[in-house]
Amino acid sequence: MSTRQRSRWGLAPIAGIAIILYAAFLLWPLVSSFVTSFTNSSPLKATSSFVGADNYVELFQDPRLYRTLGFTLVVVVFVTVVSNALGLLFALLLNSPSRNYRVMRTLVFIPQVLSGVIVAFIWRSVLNQNGLLNSTLQSMGLTDEAVSWLGTPELATFSICVVVSWMTIAFSTVVYTASLQSVPSELYEAARVDGAGALSRFRNVTFPMIAPGVTISVTLCLITTLKLYDIIAVLTGGGPANSTQSLAFFLVEVAFTENRFGYSSAIAMFLLLLTAVVAYSSTGLLRRREAHL
Amino acid sequence: MTRTRRTVGLALAALGMTAALAGCSTTASTGSGDADLTFMVFETPALGPEFWDQSIENALTDLPDVTVNKIVSPGGDRTAYAKQLQASDQFPDVLASITPRDFLEAGLLEPFDQDWLDENFILPEANDIDGGTYIPPTNSQVLPLVFYNKALFAEHGVEVPETWAEFVAAIEKFRAADVTPLELAGSEPWAASMPLVGLSSADVLGQDPEWIQKRYAGEVSFSDPLYVGALEKARDLVEMEAYDPAALSVDYATANRNFLDGKSAMYPMGSWFTGSSYITPEQAENIGAFPWPTDDGSIVVPFNVGGTTAVSSQSEHVDEATSFAKAWSLDPANLTVLIETDGAYPMFKDRSIEDFDVSVSGLYLDTYAYVTDENSKVSSFGWVNNNDSLAPGMNDALYALSQALFSDGDVAAQAAQLDKEWDAAVGK
Repeated sequence: MSTRQRSRWGLAPIAGIAIILYAAFLLWPLVSSFVTSFTNSSPLKATSSFVGADNYVELFQDPRLYRTLGFTLVVVVFVTVVSNALGLLFALLLNSPSRNYRVMRTLVFIPQVLSGVIVAFIWRSVLNQNGLLNSTLQSMGLTDEAVSWLGTPELATFSICVVVSWMTIAFSTVVYTASLQSVPSELYEAARVDGAGALSRFRNVTFPMIAPGVTISVTLCLITTLKLYDIIAVLTGGGPANSTQSLAFFLVEVAFTENRFGYSSAIAMFLLLLTAVVAYSSTGLLRRREAHL
Repeated sequence: MTRTRRTVGLALAALGMTAALAGCSTTASTGSGDADLTFMVFETPALGPEFWDQSIENALTDLPDVTVNKIVSPGGDRTAYAKQLQASDQFPDVLASITPRDFLEAGLLEPFDQDWLDENFILPEANDIDGGTYIPPTNSQVLPLVFYNKALFAEHGVEVPETWAEFVAAIEKFRAADVTPLELAGSEPWAASMPLVGLSSADVLGQDPEWIQKRYAGEVSFSDPLYVGALEKARDLVEMEAYDPAALSVDYATANRNFLDGKSAMYPMGSWFTGSSYITPEQAENIGAFPWPTDDGSIVVPFNVGGTTAVSSQSEHVDEATSFAKAWSLDPANLTVLIETDGAYPMFKDRSIEDFDVSVSGLYLDTYAYVTDENSKVSSFGWVNNNDSLAPGMNDALYALSQALFSDGDVAAQAAQLDKEWDAAVGK
């Protein structure tokens, strides 16, 4: 056995652990959930019966699916667009090797390393009736009375979009900063020699070169937002009047309020499929765009 | 080869650490006996870890063969957490303050024996569900009461309202004076529902105490004029600007603070608000309370008999779990803490409030009179743990409706939606 082969076999136990963990915490729950989605399983009962595709038939007739799906898609579109646009803007502003910029990049990244629950608690105190935002607006004379940021379906949806974007902008900024730093400076110099202005350099050099970063950032933003739960649970509890329930929130409600594991597993399968389709489509689309650029 | 052995060793160590970490739990153990029980509790500022540890230790005094492992619910929703534990085959032997009805269809709870209930409690059947009591009726609450700021009432010349018309007039007077008439913790769905709980209890159950039973039997519906009338009043409160425009952005702590700071005149809330966790004796001197007003001024008290410990019928040690639950429930030290901090009204037989060594405010004693006086008591709508408890999931529907009333005035459609959700919840 060669040294290289021995080295490979030596790594096998580590790979084995990874495979065991992957199977135990991802594959098994996935298969289990898929099987459960064809049953009337309840968290309160040890036994369950096979109900065929009944859960799926009911799901597509359930108006709550379309309400939560609509809300989820609004948040997904808003967050993906805003966090990528502002993330790119911040990355351009902070793209400098100096120490001050490094500090600022670290500060920008802080929201991403905070737990969603902590972020939601912070923002709840900001958006509360007597919170920082209303106090500021009132002290500046911009509003006479407190704005109900979490009190109407429209404003609560907008507030959630802003809070989620606040977190994901940090991630996008880091991705775009890394992409920008990988662009060879010679390309900019050549563009300058050709008389290209700042806008032209961005359009013809920067943007094509950071295309892989766009693919990564957009795709991960889509996936993160599609399975949004923690921020909603703390910030609005799905309210007012269930208007800010995401698909993931709906799933948990069905499982632990209505005691319907079978039906909630069907929702989980739908969410998984939706996420896979969106992620696969966006990746394919953006990769084709990369090739064109 | 040495390198391979080292790698394998590292891998096994990592696996061992993973297994060890997976075996860790958030429980703390008390006692040293043969029967090893788990007790799911919840923590609040008033009922902290010390309270639970001490109460468990006290309850184990006469149970030398029992050990109790405390499991702390990570959030306020104990019932949901209990379901998660059941789903993962970890249903506790004893559970604190869950909603029993959710677990009864699956037969997960053990009823307490009637003789013990008769012997120890003023209203031994207050928590009866289909002939069984799953939570000992140790204490009670009135919810909602309408708390009011005495100084603001005096300043604006408002008398304590007794009828709905007087209540509306008081609201209009405060609104005209630019004082928020009614405080509401509207961002928290359960708290947003307080006015609707008051209306459903006083107007609906006040006129027909059997209404919930009739709804189970399909003899009445939410779309009937009686319940729609209550919904219309709830919507009227929104339209007459009884609440702050940002009421649905107010959390519970902020609402309590707003009311106690004199920013609002009245506050529909549970009687626990009289406890020291919420109000100091000095603050309590400026606060009064009246029951939710009815059309004719008759007093209807939305009443809820509570309790703490429920026992799992799936426990390997049902007898020991029941003994522990009984000992915990009868320990006067536990109720003393609940009286002082949470404004609980004691329901022990042969033991009045004077028999407890407690320090309570005049506000507590004034509101306790609604429990001890002869008056019309009805189930607090959506809060009781007896035959009048709502179908699983309906509390959430009621909460959502309470918030929806702020933006949707189509009361008939909302009543029809409640009927639809009720029928789905009971499997019709």
